[in-house]
Amino acid sequence: MWREADAAPGRTPYNGLVVVEVGTDLDGEQTGKLLADLGATVIKVEPPGGSPTRACGPWLGDVEGSETSLAFATYNTSKQSVVLDLPAGLPRLEELVADADVLLCGLQPAALARLGLSYGELVARHPRLVVLSVTPFGLTGPWADYLSSDLVALAAGGPLASCGYDDHTIPPIRPGGNQGFQTSASHAHNGLLLALLQRRRTGRGQIVDVSMHDALAVTGELANPYWFYPRVLLERQTCRHAQPEPTQPALFQCADGNYIYFALVLADQKPWQQLVAWLDSAGVALDLTDPAYGSLPHRQENFAHIQDLIEVFCLLHDADWMYHEGQARGLPIGIVSAPEDLLADAHLRARGYFVGVDLGEAGTVEYPSTPFRFGAFPVPPMRRPPRLGEHTAARLQEP
Amino acid sequence: MPADTPLPDTPYPDTPYPDTPYPDPARRPRPRTGPLAGIRVADFCWMGVGAVATRLLADFGADVIKIENRARLDMPRRLPIYKGDPRSYGDEDPNPDPNKGGLFNNYNRNKLGITLNMRDPRGRELADALIAASSVVSENFALGVMERWGLTYERLQELCPGVIYARMSGFGHSGPYARYRSYGPVVQAVSGLSFISGLPGREPSGWGLSYMDNQAAYYNSAALLMAILHREQTGEGTEIDMAAVEIGISMLGPDLLDASANSRPTRRPDFPTGNRLQYPHAAPHGVYPCAGDDRWVAIAVFDDDEWDRMCKAVGQPEWADEERFASQAARFAAQDELDALLGAWTRERTPHEVMRLLQAAGVRASAVQNAEDLNEHDPQLAERGVFFEMDHPVIGTARFEGQAVLFSGFTPDLWRSAPLLGEDNEHVLTTVLGLSRDEVADLAAEGVI
Repeated sequence: MWREADAAPGRTPYNGLVVVEVGTDLDGEQTGKLLADLGATVIKVEPPGGSPTRACGPWLGDVEGSETSLAFATYNTSKQSVVLDLPAGLPRLEELVADADVLLCGLQPAALARLGLSYGELVARHPRLVVLSVTPFGLTGPWADYLSSDLVALAAGGPLASCGYDDHTIPPIRPGGNQGFQTSASHAHNGLLLALLQRRRTGRGQIVDVSMHDALAVTGELANPYWFYPRVLLERQTCRHAQPEPTQPALFQCADGNYIYFALVLADQKPWQQLVAWLDSAGVALDLTDPAYGSLPHRQENFAHIQDLIEVFCLLHDADWMYHEGQARGLPIGIVSAPEDLLADAHLRARGYFVGVDLGEAGTVEYPSTPFRFGAFPVPPMRRPPRLGEHTAARLQEP
Repeated sequence: MPADTPLPDTPYPDTPYPDTPYPDPARRPRPRTGPLAGIRVADFCWMGVGAVATRLLADFGADVIKIENRARLDMPRRLPIYKGDPRSYGDEDPNPDPNKGGLFNNYNRNKLGITLNMRDPRGRELADALIAASSVVSENFALGVMERWGLTYERLQELCPGVIYARMSGFGHSGPYARYRSYGPVVQAVSGLSFISGLPGREPSGWGLSYMDNQAAYYNSAALLMAILHREQTGEGTEIDMAAVEIGISMLGPDLLDASANSRPTRRPDFPTGNRLQYPHAAPHGVYPCAGDDRWVAIAVFDDDEWDRMCKAVGQPEWADEERFASQAARFAAQDELDALLGAWTRERTPHEVMRLLQAAGVRASAVQNAEDLNEHDPQLAERGVFFEMDHPVIGTARFEGQAVLFSGFTPDLWRSAPLLGEDNEHVLTTVLGLSRDEVADLAAEGVI
């Protein structure tokens, strides 16, 4: 548990914060990782067979095993692992919790009842404890025990309806990387911080009830406001904003086969002039230099023609050049990076973004670091994910 | 003393609330409640990321003073999301009513609003004074804007010892691309989130929203709260440098480690995999057509038990006996056949009918819900009060996206819809900065506020 001596200038505020993580899905695991990478002591309680994430590929060196899951390695850096068989180990779980600041738990109401765990009773016994519950639908409501997954959550919460292709015979397409779980984890992190600040004021912990469904339902950006105000629904469009009606494409393929994202906002005069100057410098502006294009209605009338010229221009140049040259000219162009491209990115290198984590026999693997950056204190070095039960002996005394 | 007792010298200024005249007294600021009550934020944020980041602070009690420029209206004030007037957001009104924008209302409720002309030296003096009277400063301008006004971290520390200076940008405040321009879709493209989303063998489908505006906002809220916690523990302030592109990359997931640890490129013919998973070998796992216009249902089956339950629930227990579907591995290999069979069944039903039927049987499924489903029909969101309503002087009654976390110890303090342009000029300048009403009137007449 947090002690006075743990807080010091130049040191992360999570230093000394003890978190017990149990029964978590990927969102709870990501929440624990955020805290652990930022300096908290996160004790992950796993069943004897290990977290289900350990059974999920891809695999380090393509070798399947409980210590080689790259899914586990993604969401469990900097943690400790303790094996505890529940419900038999419930008293020992409570011993861990008694010395902790936070219980981070992913169990839904029915599973909690089966286990005989009551958060109300737990915080009554440990008044300074913050219970951080991270579940698919929250602890209350008619869907509280509905089952979910990343895909199902993105569907239920709304973001999926905005994602996919112009061709609506193709279903909505789930964006990659478990972003439903990521959204839930971000809300959990903020919820915990508010509860920790409140504990400073009152001396008391509380139950923080995070729902992945609620988190996604408020993360649709324009979809809800378009319903709140003009009461219209949005149509999904290929790799660009869902809108009330079809809009011009924003993804352009370049000479090397890679893509850039460029959404020309016709109403803005400056990017228009920057674009025409750029095309003109390459001798491909054609009629776009005609003063008639100075008027917005004329540009709007000829938008398809303008897009055709951008399309041709892109096909003549590599995506990398389009990205950097366009940005140098002040245009908000983004290259569509593949993950492997990022590892060599000059900007990220200069900022020291990727960090080596020693995974043992496999050697050092490059990880994205925690994106939190504070001038007053460094974030601690990222540590490798724990082996199953690696900290059982240290954390749990024999009965 | 336990580490988390409030420090006696917590540097929050007193917040006075006299009776500044407001045409509608219900809009007059009042003392706030919640864990952040007493914290004053000089908020230079605009657009989406910054506004959503400081919205969380405002919802939980902080006095967030949003500083705006009359000459360059915040984009959400201009975007044409209006009651009774459906337009795409590229289709702006050339002379918009700055107080009519729905997106601005959603992003800036519970904040105070003032206007400053930073081209006028008196405007910059007022900004300095406001910073001196606050303990947190936030901004998400293009690089160099705050510096042009002299507002470096060093200067802020002089004005306000122990200040927290939150800087939110696309690429961060160092490195060769620090000046690159970005907004949500550009961040999603550059960070790899777009590339890993789509069907194999064609262009990425990416994102149909500025997901990274929301996620970067959530991370910036957390950074602000961490910095506040750190200052309460130690008395030390900090500068914060959060880059949306780095936040995006940190959320790519196992695909990135597969590339970095296994040197497996994601530029390959079978990647990405659309709605199917690479790992674990779930099947069926997809989005299936339903009755109705462009209606769909998501179904995910991860193991034998779930498969057996699904077969019974859809009235096809014999599927479970078929050799080609005998194991999770077999089903994963036979996804095309499986999807065709399941799709023929879902096509006859509405998405919510399928959802209810499968969830009742213990199978992971959900309608692909649109905003109408969420707002008008979703019993879970209704029960948990995720959306709420407040009145607005120009817009009338409006709905809002609430905070998605329920606390047993406190609730959000929802006191007012978004400020009208400059609505709190007199209140803030008289109560926080000690100007007289006449001085405020002169500043307004001279275009300083």
